[in-house]
Amino acid sequence: MTRLIKLLYALKKEFRLITRDVQTVTILFVMPAVFIMIMSLAMRDLFELHSSVSINVLAVNRDTGKNADAFVKAIEGLPTFKFHLLEKDATTERIRKRMFAEDYKFALIIREGTSAFVAGESGEGGDKPLELLVNPSVNVQTQMVLKGALEKNLAKLRQDVLIDHLGGILQAAGIDVKKLKADNESPIELRYAHMEGRSSKVPSAVQQSVPAWLVFSIFFIVIPLSNTFISERGQGTLMRLKSMNVSRISLIVGKMIPYLLINVMQAVVMIMIGMYIVPLFGGTALTLGSSPGGLALIAISVSFSAISFALLIASLARTTEQATTIGAVLNIIFGALGGIMVPTFVMPRFMQDLANLSPMAWGLEGFLDIFLRDGRAGDVLPESLALGLFGAIMLALTLIILRRQREV
Amino acid sequence: MIDIKHLSKSYNRKPVLDNVSLSVRRGSILGLLGPNGAGKTTLISILMGVIGKDNGEVTIGDLDLDRDLGRIQSICSYVPQTLAFYPRLSALENLEYFGSLWGLRCRKLKERMAFSIDVGSMQAFVDKRVETFSGGMKRRLNLAIGLLNEPEILYLDEPTVGVDTQSRNYILETIGQINRERKTTIVYTSHYMDEIEHVSDEIAVIDEGRIILHDAKDAILIHADAILIRAGEIGNAAVTALENHGGIQVEEGSVLIKRDERFENNMAAVFTVFHNHGISVTDIVFGRRTLEELFLKLTKVRLRDEE
Repeated sequence: MTRLIKLLYALKKEFRLITRDVQTVTILFVMPAVFIMIMSLAMRDLFELHSSVSINVLAVNRDTGKNADAFVKAIEGLPTFKFHLLEKDATTERIRKRMFAEDYKFALIIREGTSAFVAGESGEGGDKPLELLVNPSVNVQTQMVLKGALEKNLAKLRQDVLIDHLGGILQAAGIDVKKLKADNESPIELRYAHMEGRSSKVPSAVQQSVPAWLVFSIFFIVIPLSNTFISERGQGTLMRLKSMNVSRISLIVGKMIPYLLINVMQAVVMIMIGMYIVPLFGGTALTLGSSPGGLALIAISVSFSAISFALLIASLARTTEQATTIGAVLNIIFGALGGIMVPTFVMPRFMQDLANLSPMAWGLEGFLDIFLRDGRAGDVLPESLALGLFGAIMLALTLIILRRQREV
Repeated sequence: MIDIKHLSKSYNRKPVLDNVSLSVRRGSILGLLGPNGAGKTTLISILMGVIGKDNGEVTIGDLDLDRDLGRIQSICSYVPQTLAFYPRLSALENLEYFGSLWGLRCRKLKERMAFSIDVGSMQAFVDKRVETFSGGMKRRLNLAIGLLNEPEILYLDEPTVGVDTQSRNYILETIGQINRERKTTIVYTSHYMDEIEHVSDEIAVIDEGRIILHDAKDAILIHADAILIRAGEIGNAAVTALENHGGIQVEEGSVLIKRDERFENNMAAVFTVFHNHGISVTDIVFGRRTLEELFLKLTKVRLRDEE
């Protein structure tokens, strides 16, 4: 009972210290909230199908035939790209200058002979009907999307011309030509796979950014925790506490529990921002999985490992400046490696393997299991165990170091 | 009250305390003097159980340091030389937190907090954050926290460092008052000799981990029954000639003559020896010598590394 009451007073003290430290509140709450807002909105179109962003493309149709006109009409219907047609006699040099002057990412030149190409009348080895000028700043994925869309539309046009050409034969064979030409549907059905087939959640930027920046900010507990710890050591407060029969374990537990609660508060606040604030700015609302237990398990596991890591940094560093620098740099490395800043699925294979070394990656995967893959507590158990083991090792090292330092 | 026997402590094979034996009477104030690195803080840290000892025995009252550390810590209090509290908390919040660690609850906690606030004369700023306090206010809070558990023994490690004269006087008076009214045994370290002279009943000088002097203050300082003659360099022949006389004590650069029945003869002998050896008198002190004078004599005047 006495220990519990002492712990309650320690909690009260730590909460007062944390809430009165503007730097701490900024790092733990404001920084991740801002990142979640920015990244959820900035990356919305990377994840979501109902894109509102269109990429401007300059276009010149140098062909006078009707097939080329039909091609232009077809590509104008593309959802992601907006074509701005120039006059037919625009030179390539003028197109290039305008591209850079007005920051167009692409310029499409529909060459003379495109109509003949569509009709299958051009000879072997002739010029290609389309020329695509690409701003070097455009990433390869976007280039591939436009290239694929152009190829698909050109191929469809050639197919339609061929169907028209073979109309009589096809009709004689009992094939509905109109139906054949109108069949624009993609033959691929896209579905997202979830754990054990539960629900069918569509990935969104907010589903990715809330867990990513939440994990990142939880690990930033290293800065306030180490600053408080090092100040206590430097000011002789730890020595005073030790002279008051406060054990090393009590000191550590007295530090861990308040920061664990702070981390839980961070999780609640960030989830609320994802659910209610991001939609106010046009983003998709965060949807939680169906396992509050799993969510709690992974949140507490991440928190435990982050706090233990912070305690180790605090015990090793001699000054608050050292702790802040080491802690922040290691966190950024963990974050960059662990898929916080760049999702691991866009990383090359060896980088994805490296990502497995970062505890932030384990935490992020656990949260994604819950938020995105509709996982349950059992599904996040491997990540939680890994985080728990990491935390236990950090804690053991901390206790060894403090024992050797004799100051606590 | 405090009985230390053959206490030793080393760090990395370097002795910090070397066979220290010391007794402190119940209800007395021991002024513990020593240059930087002499072992004062280490000694107090061992007595409070903050660090372990290598050898020796320590008993506090009837309690043995090795067996009864928890009970010893509950009747003692340590006020470190650093400002060991939380600057972002108010004075009241600091007192509440440290009081709770002593196991104080509810009414008892409030009573003890009120007492400490009163002792520290902090009524006017008790709700303000400590980071806004002056140096003197912080020192008073540091002391007030140490009084929360009504200690039987209070260890004060340089409690007046960096404070103005008013706060310093206030702290010294408070310490004296606590000692008188509550019979608290106090071990007091300071670099300020006048403080030690003012506040102590007993004085111990520690240097290089050894107690080199321990006695009642009066026995050490009061020489109302003696005259101190300061002189230039006193050579070996002069020392030998003077030491043949009872009641004459030769120290480095001075001679102490007791005012007993031999006093007049001894005075004459000293001046004769000085005359014969060409030693000139620089000063004659009637009554008492300063602690600083004695301290420098005992610990030599060379500079010490920071503790």
